[in-house]
Amino acid sequence: MELPSSTRPAVQTIDITKVYRVGHIDYPALKGVTLKIAKGELVSVVGPSGSGKSTFLNLIGALDPPTSGRVIIDGIDLKKLNEDGLALLRNLRIGFVYQSFNLIQRLTSIENVEMPLIARGVPEKVRKSRSLKMLSAVGLAPEADKRPTELSGGEQQRVAIARALVTRPALVLGDEPTGNVDSKTTHEVLSYIVQVNKTLGTTFILVTHNPDVANMTNRVITFKDGLIEKEQYLQRMDSYTRS
Amino acid sequence: MRTSDIFKLAFKALRDRKLRSFLTILGIMIGSAIILALIASSSGLSAGVQSQVSKIGANTLTVSSARQFFGGGSSSGQSYQLSQQDVSTIEAFQGVSDVIPYYSQRATISYGSNSIEGELIGVDTSALSTMYKELSLYSGGLPDSYDPSAAVVGYSIAFPTGSSDQLALNQMISITLGGSSSGSLTFLVKGIFSEYGRVLFSDIDATVFISLQSAQILLKTQYFSGLYVMTNTAGDVTTVQQEIESYYGTEVRVMNAGSMVSSVESITSQMTVFLGSIGAVSLFVAAVGITNTMFVSVMERTREIGILKALGYKPRQIMGMFLSEATLSGVVGGVGGTILGYVLSFILGGSLSMFGGFRMGGGPPGQASSASASSTTFTPVFTPELIAFSLLFPIGIAVLAGLYPAWRASRMNAVVALKYE
Repeated sequence: MELPSSTRPAVQTIDITKVYRVGHIDYPALKGVTLKIAKGELVSVVGPSGSGKSTFLNLIGALDPPTSGRVIIDGIDLKKLNEDGLALLRNLRIGFVYQSFNLIQRLTSIENVEMPLIARGVPEKVRKSRSLKMLSAVGLAPEADKRPTELSGGEQQRVAIARALVTRPALVLGDEPTGNVDSKTTHEVLSYIVQVNKTLGTTFILVTHNPDVANMTNRVITFKDGLIEKEQYLQRMDSYTRS
Repeated sequence: MRTSDIFKLAFKALRDRKLRSFLTILGIMIGSAIILALIASSSGLSAGVQSQVSKIGANTLTVSSARQFFGGGSSSGQSYQLSQQDVSTIEAFQGVSDVIPYYSQRATISYGSNSIEGELIGVDTSALSTMYKELSLYSGGLPDSYDPSAAVVGYSIAFPTGSSDQLALNQMISITLGGSSSGSLTFLVKGIFSEYGRVLFSDIDATVFISLQSAQILLKTQYFSGLYVMTNTAGDVTTVQQEIESYYGTEVRVMNAGSMVSSVESITSQMTVFLGSIGAVSLFVAAVGITNTMFVSVMERTREIGILKALGYKPRQIMGMFLSEATLSGVVGGVGGTILGYVLSFILGGSLSMFGGFRMGGGPPGQASSASASSTTFTPVFTPELIAFSLLFPIGIAVLAGLYPAWRASRMNAVVALKYE
């Protein structure tokens, strides 16, 4: 029996583990993580390197299957989807923002933003105007025809955010989204994320090392050695967006 | 994902690597061009030979003194000469319907400002229509047998290309015989033949015909350059050839139109197989080139593939994107190769004509090879099937070559690909 949409968690994991095998040696990256993240939450995942937070993000991003356990995205058990189903789920529901931006270097800003829309067959005219709107929302409309190499790190990250949001995903996963940008850009990016989270109700899960980033989220989940060490609910510091 | 978008992205990807794409495509083009040019040329060559044979007929043999074919190699001096006696001898053979003796010599024909390299043939002019099927007069008539100054000329002698000077009936032409220092002979043009073309190694259009008697007197010889032997049926050709050969031994050389065709055709087909396999090999090399380029491209774009996966591209879409890059290379290579092959086949036609630059029996030794007006040219034959083949085959090859790399791209693990540096 399926729960009504509004009460279904955005992300739910049930005792997920992930073991990487290199040669004959197994490296357990996740050792049993059970978690529920409600719709509209703004969550940060922190922890030392190798604690399993990036692995966790890949599993809930439907990029990698867990070794055991279940990942449920908006009521959909990923185990039940084949390759195509997983691709479709990523395209329709999930946006990714990476530390290294992961823009396609040979394409212009607007072409990068268009890419997820091309996959779902949006006509060129429609996707161009949607992408341009998205670029102006992150303040980069004048840079639409520039390639990543002609942009600063902060600008590239904003293009990547535009690409993640242009499909209006329900869930956005950020792997150190502010790891490669200066503090001024960090502030800009974060305030934009907070704004989207508030106005559109988009769920954000951000893996971060930066305590400033963690401090402005609703919940901080700390990973250690492949397990959740602690969870902390915060009063969001809305004043942050004004600073 | 729309097909048009797939091809747009593929086109962009090829354009972003201009030099590499160009080199890959060049490989396909060369393979396709070679195959097209060779098949078109060799079918043009055999079509040309066949049309010449249909003019002369399959029931014709040519008999000439053996010496003339070996460039005066016999140092003992006296080689066999064909005379009226031989005409009677051969006429008596079983299956022979007619023997037509002729004189033939290379000649330079001049009138007005024109000077044309051609041939002078002395023959019973009334027999010309038996020798050459459907040869007809353009104007005038056949010269009287006993008029030593009368001649009938081929079309391109009267109307040479690229010259405003043209020949009219009853006009004088002056002929200088090749290899003789006896000065020039003068003839009155009594008739002009319509355009006819080549018959084996003779270009009828560049020939001046005079009567046998005139030739005998003017060339001061009673020996013929050769004999045309007509048999009753095409089936008699082989037996008559054997009869003549057993009678004369190696003194004469007998040529049979059918066997000439088959030898030309066997040369042509061997050449086609040989050069065609070069074409096939070069297409195969091109295919390996595509596979290699694609693998490099897939490797280089590992990260891009990871990004596409994260953005929700299905494996089949990613495969389609890479495969359409290969397909586009094939399309451009096929079209370019077909155009290149078209041009190449005409160049090939020109260079192959050198092989055909010798004449049929007659003329003094050593004179036989330098031809100008009478070289064998042919027009390449392009059938719709051939064009379709040279367009589509490279595309098929390119798709096959791109299949495995594209499949590899589509199967890549997203997480690993995203971490690829």
